[in-house]
Amino acid sequence: MSEVTTASAPIRDRLAAAWPHVVRWGGAILGALVIFGALVAFKGANPLEVYADMWTSTFARPRSLTEIAIRMAPIMLAALAVVVPAKAGMINVGGEGQILLGAIAAAGVALLVDQTLPGTVTVALMIVAGMLAGAAWAGIAGLLRIGFNVNEAVTTLLLNFIALDLLLFLIYQPWRESAAAQPATRELAGAAKLPTLGATGVHVGLVLAVIAVIALGWLLVKTRWGFRLQVVGGNAEAARRSAMPVTWLLLSALLVGGALAGLAGMIEFAGVEYKLRSGFGLQLGYIGFLASWLARHRTGPVLISAFALAALSVAADSLQLDSGLPAATVNILTALLLMAVLGWTTIRKRKP
Amino acid sequence: MSMILDVATGGVRGGTSILYAGVGETVSERAGVINLGTEGSMLGGACAAYIVAAETGNPWLGAFVGALVGASLAAAHAVLVVRRGANQFASGLAVLFLALGLTSLFGASYVGESITPFQKFAVPGLSSIPFVGPVFFNQDPLVYLAYVAVPLVWYVLFRTRIGLLVRTAGERTEALAVHGYKASTVRMAAVVAGGFFAGIGGAHLSIAYTNTWFENMVAGRGFIAVALVIFASWSPLRVFGGAFLFGAALALGPALQARGYSVNQFALHVIPFVLTIVVLAALGRRTISSAPAELKRVFENAPADP
Amino acid sequence: MTPVPTPILDLGRFTKRFGEVVANHDVSLRVMPGEVHALVGENGAGKSTLLKMIFGVYAPDEGWMLVDGKEANPGSPAEARGLGIGMVFQDLRLVPALTVSENIALALDTGFFMRMDEIAAKVQSASDEFKLGVDPKAKVQHLSIGERQRVEILKVLMTGARLVILDEPTSVLAPQEVDALLGVVRHLRDQGLGIVIVTHKLREVRAIADTVTVLRGGEVVLEGVAPSDYTDDELIEAMVGKAVPPLVAPRDAVVVAETPALVLDRVSALGDRGHVALKAVSVTIQPGELVGVAGVAGSGQRELCEVASGLRKPTEGTVRVNGEAVESAHDAVDAGAVSIPEDPVADSVVSRLTVLEHMVLDGRPLPARGPGIDWAAVRDSTDATNERLGLNIAPRHRLLSELSGGNIQRVIITRELGIDSTLVVAAYPSRGLDAANVRRTQELLLAARDRGAGVLMVSEDLDELMALADRIVVMHDGEISGEVPAGKFDRKALGQLMVEGAHA
Repeated sequence: MSEVTTASAPIRDRLAAAWPHVVRWGGAILGALVIFGALVAFKGANPLEVYADMWTSTFARPRSLTEIAIRMAPIMLAALAVVVPAKAGMINVGGEGQILLGAIAAAGVALLVDQTLPGTVTVALMIVAGMLAGAAWAGIAGLLRIGFNVNEAVTTLLLNFIALDLLLFLIYQPWRESAAAQPATRELAGAAKLPTLGATGVHVGLVLAVIAVIALGWLLVKTRWGFRLQVVGGNAEAARRSAMPVTWLLLSALLVGGALAGLAGMIEFAGVEYKLRSGFGLQLGYIGFLASWLARHRTGPVLISAFALAALSVAADSLQLDSGLPAATVNILTALLLMAVLGWTTIRKRKP
Repeated sequence: MSMILDVATGGVRGGTSILYAGVGETVSERAGVINLGTEGSMLGGACAAYIVAAETGNPWLGAFVGALVGASLAAAHAVLVVRRGANQFASGLAVLFLALGLTSLFGASYVGESITPFQKFAVPGLSSIPFVGPVFFNQDPLVYLAYVAVPLVWYVLFRTRIGLLVRTAGERTEALAVHGYKASTVRMAAVVAGGFFAGIGGAHLSIAYTNTWFENMVAGRGFIAVALVIFASWSPLRVFGGAFLFGAALALGPALQARGYSVNQFALHVIPFVLTIVVLAALGRRTISSAPAELKRVFENAPADP
Repeated sequence: MTPVPTPILDLGRFTKRFGEVVANHDVSLRVMPGEVHALVGENGAGKSTLLKMIFGVYAPDEGWMLVDGKEANPGSPAEARGLGIGMVFQDLRLVPALTVSENIALALDTGFFMRMDEIAAKVQSASDEFKLGVDPKAKVQHLSIGERQRVEILKVLMTGARLVILDEPTSVLAPQEVDALLGVVRHLRDQGLGIVIVTHKLREVRAIADTVTVLRGGEVVLEGVAPSDYTDDELIEAMVGKAVPPLVAPRDAVVVAETPALVLDRVSALGDRGHVALKAVSVTIQPGELVGVAGVAGSGQRELCEVASGLRKPTEGTVRVNGEAVESAHDAVDAGAVSIPEDPVADSVVSRLTVLEHMVLDGRPLPARGPGIDWAAVRDSTDATNERLGLNIAPRHRLLSELSGGNIQRVIITRELGIDSTLVVAAYPSRGLDAANVRRTQELLLAARDRGAGVLMVSEDLDELMALADRIVVMHDGEISGEVPAGKFDRKALGQLMVEGAHA
C-alpha cells in the first residue's frame, strides 16, 4: 500500500467503500465455520458445543490468553518472512526451514556459551546467530533464483525438508543429551532463557516480534528500499528499465524474510522450548504463510491474523482434550478460512 | 551387484507413488496450473485407501476411493484457482492443510490397524529376464498399472483432441475461447485428473509399499513430484524415468543399512531433496523457457495481488 | 431478369455503449460476395468494437444483422464461425508452441482421436488451393509474422468462412509482404468470398478495396463508397474530422560533433530466444540528428534499442552514449539517455502504482527526503512537465494499470521526454495514439532533436520516418541492410532493403 494514495475522503465514503469488504470477509469466515461444523458433526460431536468449548477455553481463561500471546510471537515473525519477499513478487514457503535454522544456530551458540557468559550476552548472540542463519537459508533459495532462475517457491519448499533432516541429525547424534530419553539437546541455562514480561508469563520474544512488525511496516512503506521492492514486485522488467538493481533487491527481500523467520526460531527456542527436540516449531512456517495471506501481505493486519491463528492453535488443544478430536483437525478450519479468503474476499478481473 | 538390484527394485517400488503424482501433475501443469496440493492429494489418497482396505479387505476398492479423494481435494484447488482466480501457490498449500486436517480426523482410528495390502506377483515369462525381470516385473499390481497408465497419458496428451485442448490451455488460454471451448472447464478437468493420479500414488504408498498409515506419511513426496515435473520438462515419459530415479535415491538408505554399512540415515534421506535442487539448478534457465507459456506467467508473476 | 445478389453481411443501427462511452452509434455496413470492403478509421474510432459485435464477442445494444439474408445474432465466436464469419485478429490467436496442423485442428471438428497425418494432408491441400504456401508440420513459433497470418487465414477458410475479416493485417508487414497479402485477398475475392479489411492506411485502401466505410468517433461518416470517388485529403478529413497537415520537419544540416550522441561499434547481441539478434551493427547518431530505423518486425530493432539503452549487454562491440561507455541501464541513464519502450504495458506499467509513482521510475536516483521519497517535489515537477509537454496525462492518483494503452503511452512519453536528455531511444512511439497525440509526440521528438539530443526512432510507419528522419537506417535479419539520407527516401527501395536485405 503506497503512501501516496492515502485517502483524504470523508469518513462516510470510506465506510461505504469498506462495507463490501466487511460483508465478504464475514461471509467467508461464516462459510468456513459452517463447513467445519458439519465435519465435526459427522464425526459425532456437537458442533455448537465444540465451538463453545473452543471459545471459552481460548478466551475465558487467562492462561489461554497468555498462551495465545506466546504463540502469536513466532507466527508474526514467520508471517513477516512471507510478507517481505511477497512485496518483491516472490513466494517464500521456506519459513519452516528458516525457523529451524534460526533455532539450530541459536542453540548451537547457546550450548557453547550459555554456562560461561552472562545471560544478556548469550541472548544477544543467539539473536544475531538466529537471524543470520535464517537469512542464509533463505539466501540459498535467493541465489538459486538469481543465478539459475529456479523458482523460489519450489526451492524454499525443498529446503524445508533438508532443514528438518538437519535438525533430526543434530538431536539424534552430535547434540543428543541423553541416550535413554527422547532425542533432544540439553536444556538451555536459566540465565539465557528469555525473561518474561512482568507477571504475565509471556516472554520478551513477543516484544521483539511486535517491534519487528512495526519496523518492517515502516521500512516497506516509508523508505526508498520498500518502494523499490514494490516496483520489483509489480513489474520486474519496469524496475530493470529504471536502472534498479533487481537481483540485489530480490536477494535482500529474501534475506530479510529469512532473518525474521530465523528470529522466530530463536525466540521459540529461548522463550518456549529451551531445547531442540523432534517436532520443534512444527508447522510454524506454514502457519506464518497462512497468516501472511490472510493479512494480504500487509504488516498491520498481520497482527490480527497472527492473533487469530494463535487463538485457533490454542483452541485446537481444547479440541483434543474436550471433544476427543485430534488436534491436527484444526488444520481443517485454518485451511477453510484461508480458502475462503483466497477465493472470495478480493476483487479481481480474471480470465475464464 | 545384488545391491544394485536391491536399489533398482526398491527404486521402482518406492518411486511408483511419486510417478503417479508426477504424471498427474504433468497434466495439470500442461494446462497451466501448478498444484502444491499434490502432497495433500497423495495424503488423502493414502488415508482413504487405507481406511477402505481395512474396512472392506479390498485393496482395489481402496485404490479407487483413494483416487477419488485425491481428485476431490484437487477439485478444491481447481475451483479456487480457475474459477476464483486465487494465487496458485497459496491455494495449493491451503489444500495441503485441509488434507492434513482431514486425514488426521478420519485416519486417527486406523493407525495400527492391519489391512490386506496389494500383493506382489511376478509376470510369467517377463520376470525371468535377467536383471530387468526381477526389477520391473515382480511388483504389485499398481506398479504394472503405472506402466500402462503413463504411455496412455502421453498418448492422450499428444494425439487426442482432449490433450490438444489441455496443452492449448497451458500455452494460450484465449485460444480456447476463440474456438468455442470453455477454458475453465478444460483447466479444472486437468487439475482434477492430476489429483486422481496423485490419489492413486498415495494409495500405493499406504496399501502397497509401506502397508501402514500414520499422520503426514507422505513426507514430501508430493513436492518432489512437483519439482520432478519441472525438470522433466513436462514430458510424461521423462517423469517416468525421473520418478524411479528418486525412488532409487530413497531406497539407497535401507539397502545400505541392510548390508551393514553404517550410513547416516539423515544424510541419505536428504539426498532426493538435494538431488532435486541440484538438477533444477543445472537445468535452470533452459527448463523454465520450455515451460507451457501460461505456467511461465504463473512462475514470473507477483503473488502480490492476494 | 438477373437476380439481385444477397449481401453476405448486412447490418444496421448497430449501437454499443460501455458505461458512458458510446463506442458505436447507429452504424451500418453492407458487404457483397466477391467484394473487398475496407473499414477505415483512426485509433479509437470504434472499428474494433464493431468487429467484435460482428464476431459475437459482444452483443449490440441496438441494431440488426443479416448474414446471407437471414437474421443473425451470434452470441459467441463459435456461433459466428458457424454462420460463416471468419476473423483474423491483429494479435494472431495462434499458439506458438504448437504446430500449424495442431493450431488448425483446434478449429476443426475432428473428433476425439486425431489422426495428425490426415489433418496435415487436409491442411496441405487447402493451402495449395488457396495459394497460401503453408507448411502443416512447422511450429508456429518458427514462422514469420507474414506466414502466421497466412496460417490464420487458412484456418478461417478451412472452417468454412465466406466472410473473412482482417483486422489491421498490414501493420506488421513490410511493403513486399503487404503486396503478397493483398494478392491473397484478391484471390479470395475472385473466389466469391466477401472480405472486410480494417486499416488506417489509405494506400492499401486504394490498392485493394472495392468499397470503403469510414468510422469516426463511433459513427459512420462515409458508407460503402468507392475509394476512387474521393481524394486522400477528403478521406483523411472523414477519418479525423479536420485535416491534419502533414508535419514538415525542418532539417538543418547535421553537424558531425566531437561527441556523438550514440555510437554503436560493431555490436553483436543475442535475443531472448538465444538467437543472434544483432550482427556486428555499427550506428552513429550525432547530437541534433534524428535517425529512423525501419524494418520488418523481428529484424533486431528491439535489441538495437535495448543495447543503446543499456538494457542488453552486447556479446561483442561497444556502446557509447554521449561519449560514455554504456554497459548497463544505469550507465545509459547517467550518460543522459531516455527511452520509450516498444510495449509500455508490459515493460513500464507497475501494478498498483499510480501515475505519480511511475514518474520517478525514469532511472535517475529517487528524489530523497530522509529515508523516503520527496513526493511533494515529484508532484510539482510532474505538473510542470505535463504543462510543458502538452500531452494531457491522466490525473496523478489514478492507477496506471487501469488506463488505456494510449493513456499509458502518453504518461511514459511525458516522463521520458520531460528530461533534458542527450539521447532519445524511441521504439514505436506513436503506437496506440490518436492523430492529435501522434502529432504532438512527433513535435516533441523533433524538439528534442532541435535542443541538441540525438534521437533513435524505430517505427513501422515508413511515412512517419520519411517525414521526420534526417536519415533512415534499415534493418534486416540483425544487420543494417542500408542507410538512406533524407534527400533520397524511396518507398520501394526501402521496402526492398527491409525484406531482401543488402543484396537488393
